[in-house]
Amino acid sequence: MPGGDFHPLFFAIVAAWILVAGIGVVTSRSVVRAAVSMVACFLGVAFAFALMNSALLAIIQILIYVGAISVVIIFGIMLTETQGGPTSKFFNRQAIFVAPIAVAAAILIAVVLLSSDLLDAGEKALNPGLRGTARLLFNEYVFPFELVSLVLLAAMIGAIVLARKDEDR
Amino acid sequence: MNPVEWYFLLAALLFCIGAFGVLARRNLIIIVMSLELMLNAVNIALVAAANFIPAAAGKGTLFVLFVITIAAAEVTVGLAIIIANYRRRRSVHADRYDEMKG
Repeated sequence: MPGGDFHPLFFAIVAAWILVAGIGVVTSRSVVRAAVSMVACFLGVAFAFALMNSALLAIIQILIYVGAISVVIIFGIMLTETQGGPTSKFFNRQAIFVAPIAVAAAILIAVVLLSSDLLDAGEKALNPGLRGTARLLFNEYVFPFELVSLVLLAAMIGAIVLARKDEDR
Repeated sequence: MNPVEWYFLLAALLFCIGAFGVLARRNLIIIVMSLELMLNAVNIALVAAANFIPAAAGKGTLFVLFVITIAAAEVTVGLAIIIANYRRRRSVHADRYDEMKG
């Protein structure tokens, strides 16, 4: 169905899932628990993509975020964590100022969104689907596509050089 | 309220949660995770725009593809920098990295 229907119940479930998991990431004491929350949040985002008729992006989200990025971050935790056990000071000093600012920013964005009617288009967008996306990617956007592969190559080499031990330099 | 606005609202809330994590946590790895939350929030907004706003149809999906790719590169390099610094300083706490403080 073009544009996709909006299911308030499913949206509410997915939104609650994403927000609870997101809050879990920023508030949990232990790093590993935060990582698990992060995986849950990524899964919720994949569900949100699926709700918006973007099956391709939902699959890519699970492959890249839930599969790859989580593993990289968990490796990072394993390579660095030596403190052992939760530390008492897991927020820094400016946290007490940052929290109200974040809440105020959220309220501000919500108020602006609710009071604007710019998005009352009325008509629904036509999702081009897998075939249309591929056509767009390999015709009109083929240069960014090639460029992004260069960025990935540079990141790969950069990560190896940066994380190498210092002795053999 | 439009469906797209609900999704934008969800994206805004997730973005603010991530921004709070970046600014308030001490552990560098959790800061990286919060950055990922912010990127995911942007992706939700882009997909919502691609799905509900006719002028953005199709392009939003491509943008999300590129954002995910760059995010993967960013996580890799970021964690490599954290690990390289951890070797020298034996700490992943952001407030220990204060050499440039005037």
